Amino acid sequence: MKITVTGASGLLGSSVARALVAGGHQVTTLQRRPSSVAGVRDVIGSVTDPSSVGEALTGAEAIVHLAAKVSMMGDPSEFEAVNIGGTRTLVDAAVAAGVQRLVHISSPSVAHTGDSIIGEGAGPASPELAHGEYARTKAAGELIALDADSEDFKVLVLRPHLMWGPGDTQLTERVIDRARAGRMPVLGSGAPLVDALFVDNAVEAIVAAVDAVASTHGESLVVTNGQPRPIGELMSRIAIAGGAGVPKLRVPVGPALAAGSVVEKVWDLGEHDDEPPLTRFLAEQLSTAHWFDQRRTQEVLGWTPRVSIEEGLKLLAAHYANEETLSASSRVPRP
Amino acid sequence: MIFPARPAQAPPKLPEWDPAWSRIVEAKTPDGPHSFHVLDTLAVLRAEGFEPSGTILALHGNPTWSYLWRHLAQATMDAARSGGRVWRLIAPDQLDMGFSERLAHESLPTPHGAEVRRMSQRIDDFDAVVTSLLAEVAGSSALDDAVASADHPIVTIGHDWGGVLSLGWAARNTDLVSASISLNTAVHQPEDAPIPAPLRATLAGPMLPTATVVTDGFLRVTMSLGDLTPEIKDAFRSPYENASQRHGIGGFVADIPVDENHPSYSELQRVGADIAAYEHPALLVWGPKDPVFLERYLRDLRQRLPQADVHRFELGSHLVSEDYDVSGVVTDWLKTQFPVGDAGADAASGTTAAENATAADPARGVTAILDARHDDESIASVDFAQNPAQQITWRHLWHVTTSIAGGLLELGVRPGDRVSMLVPPGNNLTAALYACLKIGAVAVVADAGLGPKGMTRATTSADPQWIIGELPGLGLARAFNWPGRRISVSPLGPVQAKLFKVETSLTALSRTTHHAQLPTPAATDDAAILFTSGSTGPAKGVRYTHGDISALAAVLTRVFDVHEGTGLVAGFPPFALLGPAIGATSVTPDMSVTKPKTLTASAISDAIIAGHSTMVFASPAAYKNVAATASELDEEQKAACARVELVLSAGAPVPLDLMDSIAEVFPNASIHSPYGMTEGLLLTDIDRAGVTAAAATSNLGVCVGRPIDGVELALAVIDDSGSSADTLEQGVEAQGRLGEFVVSAAHIKSGYDNLWATTAASARDDLDGRTWHRTNDIGHIDAEGRVWLEGRLQHVVTTPRGPVGPGGLEALIDSDEQVSRSSIVGIGPTGTQSLVAVLDAEGTDLSPGLAPLDLTSRLRELVAEVLGHDLTAVLVAPTFPTDIRHNSKIDRSRLAAWADHVLSGGSVRTKV
Repeated sequence: MKITVTGASGLLGSSVARALVAGGHQVTTLQRRPSSVAGVRDVIGSVTDPSSVGEALTGAEAIVHLAAKVSMMGDPSEFEAVNIGGTRTLVDAAVAAGVQRLVHISSPSVAHTGDSIIGEGAGPASPELAHGEYARTKAAGELIALDADSEDFKVLVLRPHLMWGPGDTQLTERVIDRARAGRMPVLGSGAPLVDALFVDNAVEAIVAAVDAVASTHGESLVVTNGQPRPIGELMSRIAIAGGAGVPKLRVPVGPALAAGSVVEKVWDLGEHDDEPPLTRFLAEQLSTAHWFDQRRTQEVLGWTPRVSIEEGLKLLAAHYANEETLSASSRVPRP
Repeated sequence: MIFPARPAQAPPKLPEWDPAWSRIVEAKTPDGPHSFHVLDTLAVLRAEGFEPSGTILALHGNPTWSYLWRHLAQATMDAARSGGRVWRLIAPDQLDMGFSERLAHESLPTPHGAEVRRMSQRIDDFDAVVTSLLAEVAGSSALDDAVASADHPIVTIGHDWGGVLSLGWAARNTDLVSASISLNTAVHQPEDAPIPAPLRATLAGPMLPTATVVTDGFLRVTMSLGDLTPEIKDAFRSPYENASQRHGIGGFVADIPVDENHPSYSELQRVGADIAAYEHPALLVWGPKDPVFLERYLRDLRQRLPQADVHRFELGSHLVSEDYDVSGVVTDWLKTQFPVGDAGADAASGTTAAENATAADPARGVTAILDARHDDESIASVDFAQNPAQQITWRHLWHVTTSIAGGLLELGVRPGDRVSMLVPPGNNLTAALYACLKIGAVAVVADAGLGPKGMTRATTSADPQWIIGELPGLGLARAFNWPGRRISVSPLGPVQAKLFKVETSLTALSRTTHHAQLPTPAATDDAAILFTSGSTGPAKGVRYTHGDISALAAVLTRVFDVHEGTGLVAGFPPFALLGPAIGATSVTPDMSVTKPKTLTASAISDAIIAGHSTMVFASPAAYKNVAATASELDEEQKAACARVELVLSAGAPVPLDLMDSIAEVFPNASIHSPYGMTEGLLLTDIDRAGVTAAAATSNLGVCVGRPIDGVELALAVIDDSGSSADTLEQGVEAQGRLGEFVVSAAHIKSGYDNLWATTAASARDDLDGRTWHRTNDIGHIDAEGRVWLEGRLQHVVTTPRGPVGPGGLEALIDSDEQVSRSSIVGIGPTGTQSLVAVLDAEGTDLSPGLAPLDLTSRLRELVAEVLGHDLTAVLVAPTFPTDIRHNSKIDRSRLAAWADHVLSGGSVRTKV
């Protein structure tokens, strides 16, 4: 099949593109930097730019849409441009070009209002209720994608939850770095259950969705490992696998939520390259349960997670052990 | 204050309410036409293509309205959609109530005032509305020649004052009505009993209008008699937002006939008499925590309607149908009363265990052997609980029981009367019990382990006419105001007798001259009500008939070779009572029954010697202490223990190491550990060799052996939602699957007491035409037919990978050296639950919260390896709740609630 992958410069996007190539598909990628994936047609550009989108969709039968502005902070207009405008541009172009399938990658935060999620299904995306610019704009983008769903243009939305694993800079790397620096907080008891998704499983779920969308479409599915874990335990194990010690910085929940809001506001005022140490959104994520019912997801995708959390942690530990060895032998400091 | 008239209205949009149920009906009442708001499901039924084949007429009380019946409306709609009988529900709001017409009033309501719509008028109102509505459906009309028939039954249901009004109407329309149901209500105010306190306050003259009309006090108080959400409370209050809409609430209270001068007094007397003459099937559903409609009103109602089935929601209050699935009970009951077609016809009558019993074991009365041995001078019973030990001969026991039986009859005890036994095991209890059995009085036995509150609840629900007790028990009865006339064991002095309201004593009764003829109870008559331990909710009374008890005695003879002349030491209460029925010499050892740990090796040996016993019955806790104190035994005692042929341990499974310790004390005995429960005391059995063999397998759970002779065992497989299947499996089909054990035997219960729905649910199977009992115990049957227990049905964890029984995993986890004890619980929605292990912090170096990472890893690997399931989390709880009676059954429900709280972000320090 001819498949276009947007956002293939990131870990997940490039891995998906690679997997699709390995599966014998003709893959085109669209992103701002070269994808560095062998065997794909690289279109350099942005989803916000109709002409590069048009070029990337030439001849496409299916799209995997991963491109997004992913961050916990930042200028609202940037989020809107990419996550809402970009999705609109892509969907319009796809329908006009006669593309038949869209696998739209979203986020469980589009339906997360800050309350605990305990074994629930995906729930409808809600820009009004979602917390933060990222979640709000991803919610609006998801609704645009689902609105376009039809028998001629089949749309399936996947919401991977807390993706982690070797090479992941969003969560894994940060947890490990902060744990090394003694800055990784454990909120309250650390007991709230969360779902997470090992990166290899995320890739395989998305690949499975390219097939599955042909028979089931017009709905959203949260994708996880189906192994909820206490947040404190999961973060500790990731930190340990990355060679850092067990996080010891214990913060009570209430003050953390308040501090998160303050930090968020202060951060908004200045210019910062890094994420703030703790956002209110993150504090909520770390202090409330959010784990999901995976039965529908696994049924629709015809997929089950191949790598368990325990196996994933071993792979992660091996990855970092390998990295240490490499960096030690080459004496080149890690970026 | 002036109250303007206002016609009936439709309610606004309300939660759980379908606007299509609402209609306004003009009805011609004797004082002219009035408009009523009526809940009527006819339109919705017809819109879905259903034509009613039955009608339920429902009447609310004060200050509710037809909103009270919304669950019943939904339940009857659901039943129609799933192919059951199509019941139409008609539930009018009474005048001045709900959304029905507001009559004009010149002044506030007072008991003797003219502004009150009286009881007789309200029955006429009801008649007017339902008569016109029944005419809309062919087959249900009062005007038809064809009166109420099985083709279209008409059933009434009421609550509060709507209960007595609807029963009164039904009793006056017996040709039309087929059956009647009432929730908490009152028909008769006994002259000697005070009006319930909350009502007394409201009725107190000048307060009445203030409490009911001017303010919404009465309304608010009533709405607090149930666990209602604010939205539902608002819905109930919606027709009564201001004083001008509340005249009816005051009018209703003003119409309560508190004395014979009240205008409605004579009408209530007539209604009461009419109800007493009512002979159609009836169901009474009751919430005993009601502060107004007290137990005495239920008792009165049961006397008027002796045919009534009763279902008590022990923790339910006035608004019982808000907190409990009363609609489910009602629709199930209607299903058995009015089955569709012929298929269900025999399900309604049902065969009882007693019938099975008489079929399997042709009658030997419980007291037959005792009667036959009335001249036997050999020892029948030895009681070490008395100091000095008291032994009595068969002849003496026969005389004493016969005299007491006659004395009880003279005192006024009637066959079928219930007698609460507050006497510890020993000769006194044996005498009291067999005296009752002789005349068909029913012994009520609630374990002291239930605690004063639990015992009070149990005894109150059984509603005994009599109490036979020793002083501590009589004190409890007095302190908690138990029902029943009192009889002491030994004579009391006049002061004490007065204090405890004791009329006579067993000692006095035992001097009664023998009657020529005592009544002979039938095998199907009740013999005893035994209460369960209450570890999974309020204790339930289990009904045993004379036939059941005979069958149980026969099992002991058939399976364990207890026969006439056997000497047995009875350290386990239920079996302690069976000696005289079997003809065995029973010895009560010196121990406290509620504290089995007080049984010493020395005490048990002395009991063995006194009764020339060859058998010993006790609980594992007792044997544990016997083994621990075995070093005290002298040579004679050791020799006595060596003579014992059978050691029976009941009440809980016996671990192998305890079996081995028991074997050291009783070197020549075979050691058996039968499994059973209050509802079926002997179901399976395993001996020491069996426990050894089972321990060598890799099965999960506790092995309790195979069914004993006479017990049929089946399995109801548990599905992904944690429910046990409606169909039963036996043989190979039942092996290796997680399921609920279902048993059939002549000696299982005949039913639960005053728990119609619980009885019906537990005995719903009819495989092979037998009567079965759903045990609520779960586990699996292995390839060799052995039964393995893995917990209780309500504790099954429903993971996405399938259901898990907690018991097996707990045993596995407890084997870790860092763990003292554990509980497996499920967190999250049914079918996608997370499997969580909760560990007890006590006796370990673990601190509350998340368990250490290495321990968590170890347990997770173990669970994955043995079961292939993912253990989500391991928590350490600060305390471990267990039940009082056994101090061993872990309260998984409470631990699950705590784990749920912690795993969703709550504090670890929250009370378990």
